[in-house]
Amino acid sequence: MKSKNGKVYLAVGAVSIGLLGAVSLRARPPFTEAQLAEQQQELLDVVNHGRDLWHGSNPEMSTNGLACGNCHPDAAASNPQTFPKWVSEIGDVAPMREMINWCIVHPQNGKALDVSGKDMVALEAYAFYLYRGQKIEPGLAMPTPPDPVKSGVGFPHKPSGVGVDK
Amino acid sequence: MSDETDVTRRRFLGLAGNAGLATFAARAIGVNTGLIEVLSAATKNGVQPFSFAIITDSHLFSIDNHKFDKALADAVAQVNALTPAVDFVMYTGDIAQNGREDQLVKGKKILSALKAPLKVIPGEHDWYLDMGKAWNGLFGKETWSYDHKGVHFIGLNSILVRDFWTGAGMTPVERMSTMEMLESPIAGPWGVRDAQLEFLKKDVQKLSASTPVVIFTHSPLWDYYPRWNFQTEDAPQIREILAKFDHVTSLHGHVHQTIYNKFGNMSSAGALSTSWPWPYPPVKLDYPGSQMNQSDPANTKDGMGSQSVSVDAGGATVAYEPFANSLTPFLKDGLKV
Repeated sequence: MKSKNGKVYLAVGAVSIGLLGAVSLRARPPFTEAQLAEQQQELLDVVNHGRDLWHGSNPEMSTNGLACGNCHPDAAASNPQTFPKWVSEIGDVAPMREMINWCIVHPQNGKALDVSGKDMVALEAYAFYLYRGQKIEPGLAMPTPPDPVKSGVGFPHKPSGVGVDK
Repeated sequence: MSDETDVTRRRFLGLAGNAGLATFAARAIGVNTGLIEVLSAATKNGVQPFSFAIITDSHLFSIDNHKFDKALADAVAQVNALTPAVDFVMYTGDIAQNGREDQLVKGKKILSALKAPLKVIPGEHDWYLDMGKAWNGLFGKETWSYDHKGVHFIGLNSILVRDFWTGAGMTPVERMSTMEMLESPIAGPWGVRDAQLEFLKKDVQKLSASTPVVIFTHSPLWDYYPRWNFQTEDAPQIREILAKFDHVTSLHGHVHQTIYNKFGNMSSAGALSTSWPWPYPPVKLDYPGSQMNQSDPANTKDGMGSQSVSVDAGGATVAYEPFANSLTPFLKDGLKV
């Protein structure tokens, strides 16, 4: 009896510990404001790295001096929210990373990036960040403009059609 | 007569070898007709009909045999093949990419193959490495005016910014790099500034209101998309000085795309570059739908080219001369400006 009871207690104890373990794994306390700010800063650091790469900071990405920003200021007409989609240059449905590499290899005549490397993640992060808030529409053929107003600082950006905004 | 001219013009364009068949057809029905009308038009108000060409924004790198060298040479061949021959060629800025003297020298050499005389104004990519020293040495003054067959032409330097580099301790290369980035907020808005406004006032003082005026600047003389400096800060003052004229035509580079606007007595048209096309900025505007097709990145000639402008007493018609078939039907007939 004793040993039987002992086994029962042990079994109950093991289940309890198991449950406690499971609960403690799942019930992580919410991130603090400081942690969230830190995580967001990590993202913005990567976005900033992407911005630099977009404007030519990695010489391996180009042999003719051209950078992404030459044709895509403010990531305009890069349309990250429309990927994956059919890309006629590639002849397949492709993610944005493949399109980025196509641009690096062809118009920029450079060396393709590792598709899962830090530089590629940064380029993607920059483009997606400028298009944040846009509706995700994979395959959309028509370009959707980015919203640099949210991301940019500096001189006025809203056109009046005639004069200069102040 | 018109058929003969059409055939001759098409043959010349065929020799230039830069345009697709669809573009030829468009020229035959639209652009050529316009040019023929110009040739047969009677002289009015002392204006003798003529045409000129615009080449712009070649962004030459220092690298030998760069694809942009070839693109500029193609534009030169395209313009040389125009019939009737143009009276002169206007270059509206950004010969160089990084403001280097070797890039400007290379551009001048390629442009020297033009059969017609060349007039030039600077762009920001030509200027901010040495503040125009090399450019001035090669191309002379950046502010000028002259009369041609009854039309008054003006060239201004519209890319002058406030000094952002001295306080920041920037080197000339850093200053240039800042200006090279279209969407950089550091440099702030461009303008022609006080000295050139004074020049303009004096220059047009004695001209009669009926004199047709054509003004060249690198950036548009209206507020298109200031974030990319698709604007000129003191354009309102320029338009005020030119308000007395019956008609003013403003022609500019910088935007690397077809664009048109009209306000008051001024019509404005932007030019295709020879280097790369820029996407239209994220703004909605009410003027006529003059956008070109979205360019195909796999076609290295799509969305680029030169333009011819025919002028008579009634104004001017801008005909885009794309390397590839980039134009929508609206644009293929030319823009009356």
